Amino acid sequence: MKMEDMPLSGPDNTKLESLVHDIYSELVEDACLGLCFEVHRAVKQGYFFLDETDQESMKEFEIVDQPGVDIFGQVYNQWKNKECECPNCKRLIAASRFAPHLEKCLGMGRNSSRIANRRLASNNNMSKSESDQEDNDDLNDNDWSYGAEKKAKKRKSDKNQNSPRRSKSMKHKNGELGTIVTSEPYKYNFNTGISYETLGPDEVRSLLTTQCGVISEHTKKMCTRSQRCPQHTDEQRRAVRVFLLGPSAPTLPDADPVVENDGFDIPDGQTLMSRLQWEDSSDISPTDSASSKASTNPSDSRRPKKKKRPSLGLNSGGGGGGGGGSSSLTGGSSSSQSNISLSTKKKRPKLSAPSIPSIYDDLN
Amino acid sequence: MKAAVNQKLTEMGERDRLKELLRAKLTECGWKDQMKAHCKEVIKQKGLEHVTVEDLVVEITPKGRGTDHCCLTSALITAPGRPPSTSR
Repeated sequence: MKMEDMPLSGPDNTKLESLVHDIYSELVEDACLGLCFEVHRAVKQGYFFLDETDQESMKEFEIVDQPGVDIFGQVYNQWKNKECECPNCKRLIAASRFAPHLEKCLGMGRNSSRIANRRLASNNNMSKSESDQEDNDDLNDNDWSYGAEKKAKKRKSDKNQNSPRRSKSMKHKNGELGTIVTSEPYKYNFNTGISYETLGPDEVRSLLTTQCGVISEHTKKMCTRSQRCPQHTDEQRRAVRVFLLGPSAPTLPDADPVVENDGFDIPDGQTLMSRLQWEDSSDISPTDSASSKASTNPSDSRRPKKKKRPSLGLNSGGGGGGGGGSSSLTGGSSSSQSNISLSTKKKRPKLSAPSIPSIYDDLN
Repeated sequence: MKAAVNQKLTEMGERDRLKELLRAKLTECGWKDQMKAHCKEVIKQKGLEHVTVEDLVVEITPKGRGTDHCCLTSALITAPGRPPSTSR
């Protein structure tokens, strides 16, 4: 509570004030005494005058109190208007901008490399989407990606697709109406598609000769995997081609005769050959008949699939393409050997007969 | 009465608190540096070796009292938490 707030009569007030004043003086005296003791001790101990040097130095470092100058006497924005010549580009740069400019000019800083990479990536993107697809044939297999960053993602998702752990139920076909959709197909499609609407007919045609091209239901994008991409059937590919290029569309490519089988680990090449003969002759399903119309495409080999079969995630290997579960191979194809080895690693649900016997006919 | 008040203050620890408060305020307003400068002069006058506490006190106290710190009185009075003077 404050003194002023108290209800005081006149004389009491003055008395109180004098009292307060007395108390105050006492306190001040105490403070003075304290100071004296402090100073005296400093003097006797010899540290009282420590902060003072000789007169000359004192003058030199005296505090400056002029306008436009700091207390040391330095002009504070002295370097603001100065310009430096860059040793690299020989330009005159303002002093405060010199360091960042040098970083970009020499291309050595952390930021500059980041920007450069980003620019490169976007440039690649632009040029790639316009360039002829045929040229990037070899690169396109499973590697074609919409953006540079998505490449890594795509490859990663590819890897996951083929692991033996994947349950059968997961291997559903994409781009098919009414398919049970899991998250993976979504993920897969998201990064690896292109929109057919943006492409001209020539581009579409060239795209379709090298890539799967099946349009995903979810994203309306064309599948960019190879012609033998495991997620889509030949039937789908053919349908897409018809849809995009008209009924006279070029048929699906199929260079190497690789076909997948269900869980059929190839025990013996001979048995396989005989089995192949049998399969070649029979046209099993109606979807296969559709695909039988497809003609070969010289560029990529493709693995046919039946609709009923769950889609198998297989990366196409070297020349022959990846084997599915087991692959039924046409005779005489060296790639078939590789396919055998590939297929033995994986057990797949039993496939009905492959759907490209007619294509093999062409080759045979 | 004054003695009673003083006693009360000391008992309550108010006195110490006020003292500290005053010291802080004096330093803040530069009174302390002023006094110190004065001390320096005195010491230079008297010579470094022979200065005694009494010398300083004699010199400083009147000056300390005299210098403009009366404004601090009211400041001290209106300091927050100051207890009312009880005895009358």
